[in-house]
Amino acid sequence: MIYSSLLFIYVFFPVSLLLYYVTPEKYRNITLLALSVIFCGMNGAAYLLFLASYTALNFGFCHLIGKYRKNKFIAKGMLTLALVLDISVIFIFRSDFFSAYRELMSIPEVFFPVGISFFTLSAVGTLADVYSGRTEPEKNIVYFALYMMFFPRIIMGPPMRYSGFRKMLRHRKSGLADIGTGLSLFVKGFAKKVIAVDTLYSLYNAASGVEIEKMPALTAWLGAVSFLLCFYFTISGFSDMGAGISCCFGFRISKSFNYPVFSPNVRCFTARWHMQVSQWFRRYVTKPLSSLCVKKIYRDIIIIAAGGLFGFWYTFDIGGAVSGLIWSTAVVAETRFIKEKQLQITGVLYTFILALVCSVFMSGGGLVYSMKYLFAMIGGNRLLADSQSLYLLKSYVLILIVSMYSAASFFRNIMVHSRRKKIQNIITALSPLIVLSAMILCTVLISYRGSSDMILLKM
Amino acid sequence: MKNAVSRITAILILVYISVVMLFIFFGKSGSSPIHNSTVSKKKSVSVSGIMNGNFGKYLAECVTINFPARDHMIKADSGMRSSLTENIVNGVYVDQKMLLEAEISERDSMKENARIINRFCSGYDGTVYFAAIPTSTGVYDSYLPEYLRKNTESMQINEFYGDLRENIREIDAYNILKMLNENYIYYRSDTKWTSYGAYCVYRTVIQKLGFSPTAYDKYTIDHVADDFSGNLYARTFYSDVKPDIIDIYRYPDGAEILSCTGYDNGMKSFSGELYDKSLLDSDDMYDMYLGEKRPLVRIRTTVNNERKLLVIKDSFADCFVPFLTQHYSEIDVIAPEYMKGSVKDFVDPADYEQILFLFGIDSMDDENLFDVLVTPPEERKS
Repeated sequence: MIYSSLLFIYVFFPVSLLLYYVTPEKYRNITLLALSVIFCGMNGAAYLLFLASYTALNFGFCHLIGKYRKNKFIAKGMLTLALVLDISVIFIFRSDFFSAYRELMSIPEVFFPVGISFFTLSAVGTLADVYSGRTEPEKNIVYFALYMMFFPRIIMGPPMRYSGFRKMLRHRKSGLADIGTGLSLFVKGFAKKVIAVDTLYSLYNAASGVEIEKMPALTAWLGAVSFLLCFYFTISGFSDMGAGISCCFGFRISKSFNYPVFSPNVRCFTARWHMQVSQWFRRYVTKPLSSLCVKKIYRDIIIIAAGGLFGFWYTFDIGGAVSGLIWSTAVVAETRFIKEKQLQITGVLYTFILALVCSVFMSGGGLVYSMKYLFAMIGGNRLLADSQSLYLLKSYVLILIVSMYSAASFFRNIMVHSRRKKIQNIITALSPLIVLSAMILCTVLISYRGSSDMILLKM
Repeated sequence: MKNAVSRITAILILVYISVVMLFIFFGKSGSSPIHNSTVSKKKSVSVSGIMNGNFGKYLAECVTINFPARDHMIKADSGMRSSLTENIVNGVYVDQKMLLEAEISERDSMKENARIINRFCSGYDGTVYFAAIPTSTGVYDSYLPEYLRKNTESMQINEFYGDLRENIREIDAYNILKMLNENYIYYRSDTKWTSYGAYCVYRTVIQKLGFSPTAYDKYTIDHVADDFSGNLYARTFYSDVKPDIIDIYRYPDGAEILSCTGYDNGMKSFSGELYDKSLLDSDDMYDMYLGEKRPLVRIRTTVNNERKLLVIKDSFADCFVPFLTQHYSEIDVIAPEYMKGSVKDFVDPADYEQILFLFGIDSMDDENLFDVLVTPPEERKS
C-alpha cells in the first residue's frame, strides 16, 4: 500500500484515525504499532516478516552495545557486526551487483523492502548514537518497533534521531487542529505526486526514449528538466504526505525540503535539499571523519567524498555517486572561491544548470550515456529541435510552468511576505476549500488506476 | 484564526472522506462491471497472496472498483489530461478517429510461450498453423505521436515466428491488416479487430488450410449493434470517439450450423449459439461472438466432408471462427484462458489433421496462458 492510493486515503487512513482517537491515551502507541503492522502486511507478509526481524535484530544490538558500553572492545565489536549486517542488507537489496546473492538466498525477484534506504539510515544512526552514549538504548520494544516501522515514515522517511522520536512518542498532543494541519500537508504532497510527478514522468519517458545520437537539444533539455522536477517532487511529495499523516497523530516531523530547486547559490540549494538525510550524512559521516583531520584540504576532500556517498545512496550506482561528487565539489569550490555577493539571477541560473547536470547522471543509463546526453543538451548532435520535441514542448509546457512555479518559493511568498494582511486573510479563510478541491482533483486523477505508485527510484 | 481554520479543514476533509468511505462499503458500485478490466481474474485470497502482497493489491482493486462515481471521475480525468497535456490518458491515446493503446509493452514472455507451443507440437503429426494478430496499435501506429511509432508489434510477431518450429505454418496477418487499414478492420474503442478485419485474414488462412474462401458478396451482413464501447473506452470514457458497430456475417446459401455446444471445466455441456444475441445486453457486447466463455466449444455443421479442425485461440478468434464453419463438418474451439487442467482432458489433438492457433499479440505474451497445452493432467492436481 502506498499513501497516494484510494485504499489508503479513503479506507486505511480514516479507519486508523478513528481507532487511534478512540483508544485511551495509554494504549495509543500500541494502536499505532498495530496499524503499522497492518500497513506493512498489506505489502506482503514477507515484507512484514523481514521488517520485524530487522527491527528485532537492531533492537538486540542496541541493547547489547548499551550493556557492554564500558568494555570498549566488546562494544566496538558489536557495533561493527551490527553495521556490517545492516549495510550488507541494504547492498543486497538495492545494488544490482548483488543480484546473484538474492538468487542464492532464493529471494523472489519482485520482493523489495520498500523504504530500506531510509530505515537503514535510522538503524545505523541509532546504533552509532547508542555506542557513543548520546542515546540510552531503548528498553521498550514497542517504542523501538514504532521508530522503525511507523507507517507514515516507512516509505520515504525522513530519517530522524531516536532521541527526538522518543521525545515525540512520550509527550505529544494531538487534536483537531493538528489533523487539519496534517491533512493540508498531506494534500500538498499528494498533489505534488499526482499532478506534477505523474505527468512529468510521461514527458521524461517520451524524451529519454529518443535515440541518444539523434537527440535534439530541446528534447534533451525537456528530459533533464522533467527528471529533475520528478525527482524533487517524488521525494518531497512523499515526505509531505508522510509528515502530514504523522501530524494527524501528533508527531511533528520537520520538513525535508525548503524549495531548493531555484536557489540563489549552490550552498543554499544544499542547505534546502533533503535536509534530514543531508544532516544524517553530516552527523555520521562528515563530522566524525573531519574531526580526525586538521588540514583544510583533507576536510574538503572528506566533504566531497561524503557528497559522493550521499548521491550514491539515492541510486546505488555510479551515476548517483558521480552526481554527488560533482555537487559537493561545486559546494567546496563555491565556499573557497566565490566570496563576493553575486547577482541573484546568475546564481539561480548556474545552480539550476548544475542541478540539471547532476540529474542527468542521477537518471542512470551509465556514465557514457550520461556524457552523450550532456553532449546532446549543448546541441552536440547539431540539432536544436525537431517536430517531436516541439510537440512535447507544446503538450507539456503548461504543466512544466506550473510545476516550476510551485517548485520555486513563489506560492509561499504570496502567503508569508504579502504586504497586505487582507490577502493573507482571504487565502487562509479559503484554505479549507482549496485543500478539499485539491483532494478531489487528485482523487479524480488516480480514479482509473486507483493509486499512483510510480516512485522513480526504488528506495 | 489559524487554529480555527485548521479545525475547519479537518472537519471538512474528514466528513468528505467518511462519506466516500461509506459509499465504498455500502453504495452501489461506481463503475459498471465491464470497466473493471483492472481486476485480474487470478488474484484471490490465498497463503501465497498474503505472503507476496497480492492480497493487498486485491483489496486496493476492490476499493477502486467500488469507488463512488468512478465512471464520471475517469471521464473528468481524461477530459483534463487530454486538454492539458498530451492526448494520452491512462495509457490510451485518445483521438476523435480512434482510441489506441499507447503503453508499448516489451512482451518478454513471448519467447517462453513459443517454446511451450513448440513442445506441444512436437508430438503431433498433423499440420499446425499459427496466426498472430496485432492489436489496433500495431496496425494504426501512424496515428500515434512520433516517439511511440516503433513498429514494435510487427517486429515482435516476426521474432515470435522465428522462435516457432519450422513445420508450424505461419500466417502473416500483420501485413494483410496493415495494407487494409483504410477500412473498418479494427474497433475504434477497442484493441480487437472487427468482423471485417477477421474476414480479411480468413481469406488467407483458409487458402493455407486448403479451401477457397467464400466471396464477400455472398454474405448478408446485419448490423446488430451500433453502440459498442470497448476496452479502451472503458479506460478513458473519452466520448468524442464514435461508438462501434457490431456485425454478423450470414451466408444464406451455405452450410448450416447443426450444433454449437459449450463445455465447462467439468465437461458439462451447454448448448450455445455462434452468435448469441442475448449477450448484446451484457457488459461486453463482443461476448456475443461464440456466446458464453467456455474452455471448449464444439461446432457441428452440415458440411459433408468429415473434416475436423482444432482451433486454439483467445478472444480475437471469436468473430473469426464463424467464417470457418463453411469448410469443416466439425470445429473444436479451445480457449486456454478459461481452461483448468490440460488440453488433453478435453480433446485428443491426434484426432485432428489440422490445428489452427489464433491469438492476439497480448495473449501471446500472457505468462502461464499456454501451460494448459503441456501440463500433464496428474501434475495440475498437486
